[in-house]
Amino acid sequence: MNRRDFIKHTGVGAAGLGILGLGSLPAAAEAKADRLVILHTNDMHSRIEPFPDNAAQWAGMGGMAHRAALIKQIRAQEPHVLLLDSGDIWQGTPYFNFFMGELEYKLMTQMAYDASTLGNHDFDNGLEGLQKQLPHAGFPFLIANYDFSDTILAGKFQPYKVFEKAGHRIGVFGIGIEMAGLVSDKNFGATKYLDPIAVAKDMVAKLRGPEKCDLVICLSHLGYKYESAKLDDFKLAAGAPGIDLILGGHTHTFLPKPDVVAGPNGHQTLINQVGWSGINLGRLDYAFERGTRRPSVAAASVVPVRVA
Amino acid sequence: MAALSLLAAVALFPACQRATYVAKPQLAPATAQPVGKDLADDAMAAATIAPYRQRVTEQMAAVLGTAPVAITKNSGESPLANFVADLQRSRASRETGQPIDLGVMTNGGLRSPLPAGSITMGSVFELMPFENELVILEVSGAVVQQLFEYAARVKMPISGATYVASPEGRPTDIRINGQQFNPAQDRMYTIAISDYLAGGGDQLTFFKNSKPRSTGVLLRNAIADHIRELTAAGRPVEAKVDGRVK
Repeated sequence: MNRRDFIKHTGVGAAGLGILGLGSLPAAAEAKADRLVILHTNDMHSRIEPFPDNAAQWAGMGGMAHRAALIKQIRAQEPHVLLLDSGDIWQGTPYFNFFMGELEYKLMTQMAYDASTLGNHDFDNGLEGLQKQLPHAGFPFLIANYDFSDTILAGKFQPYKVFEKAGHRIGVFGIGIEMAGLVSDKNFGATKYLDPIAVAKDMVAKLRGPEKCDLVICLSHLGYKYESAKLDDFKLAAGAPGIDLILGGHTHTFLPKPDVVAGPNGHQTLINQVGWSGINLGRLDYAFERGTRRPSVAAASVVPVRVA
Repeated sequence: MAALSLLAAVALFPACQRATYVAKPQLAPATAQPVGKDLADDAMAAATIAPYRQRVTEQMAAVLGTAPVAITKNSGESPLANFVADLQRSRASRETGQPIDLGVMTNGGLRSPLPAGSITMGSVFELMPFENELVILEVSGAVVQQLFEYAARVKMPISGATYVASPEGRPTDIRINGQQFNPAQDRMYTIAISDYLAGGGDQLTFFKNSKPRSTGVLLRNAIADHIRELTAAGRPVEAKVDGRVK
């Protein structure tokens, strides 16, 4: 059966759910016990303390002790939380200039971050600077399109990780921005930059296929949207269909709600980004409904996702 | 009830190929939850931060050097503008191992003078609060000409060069490294500048088409390092108006 036949056969798409009668599940049925709560940050930029009260903008906002309290509140109410970051943890306050990222990693570890990806500023102290602080990070950095084989960081990072949460398999992978011209040459050294679209396609195939994930999340540091041909989260969503959620960064974009990119066969990719400096904590809840796809088929493009 | 039947349905097929699911997002009530002052400090995070905060406070008060007189800025050539543009050029040269023709910093990028007496790390943060990086541009003579036309309107000093600003605000007698500048000459010029200005900030739009080369050095750190080095060499922190703009 080729994909077209499969789609015809199962009536996959927005209509597919209706046929199976699952699309009309009342919200109350999406029990907390089965709900996955995704919390996320991007571009926290060493904002350990809130913006000062006399700051021209964002006075009193942010602060990692405040964020830790909010995360704790949510964890007390929700059994299944995935806490993620999209890079540029570093640079922006004297805490980074003086302690080179140690405190940021320690606090994120205390908050029990599940994973982060790498932003360009996470290379601000070079590969050595990153290597030196990694022991303080009790969470993995996921990055699929940087090849560190010829560097001192070889073997330190994974392209993706599968989390078992709420009885489901959640695949998370990371995509970084091209560093040439953006980061000093000596700071990324022999790190090779791989085409994000090709890598993301591989990731989707792997996570949807052999890894049997019910939800595929990309931590992206490409940036939200560029008018130019420069790769952004929208171009990534279109170029590598089958990602359920792109948690972005780099452009410090404040989104009141996620953007939706329609893919083939009714699949939708959500793109979210929550500004910078820990001013906001992003939250998206997911319920899991019995699906219609067959694991044997390249399922990435046939999983309907709809905004509630 | 519906949830129960869903669970039951899943449980009915334990031996089958793994059941597949559709992840359905729910966006209410807010996907961007503000982290504000209404939240209490988490006690563990606050306790972790406290000793670091104390060290930040101490280090901001650390004395890097001593200035006999305040290094101030004013419109046109100023001690502070010369000081920063010169150290940009020398630091960029050190980072790249090659001479750099020009150093450029606009008055708008210098946020505070350096005080007379003790110069602390805090003073340097006040002078340069931005996370600007020192970068190098390589541009044609035509672009350099545009730079001097911009500079002459406000008598902005440019490190590595001298020029005369005409009463109409036009640059004349431009000399780079002592040599008469000819914009038609077929050669490139290197400029040590902040990434902000290299990207066209402060209306330096003529730089926008040039791709800056990164040094990995923050401008603030370049300033602090320079003051420390002067101190280590037993020298005071000084800068003068030397007539590079006439």
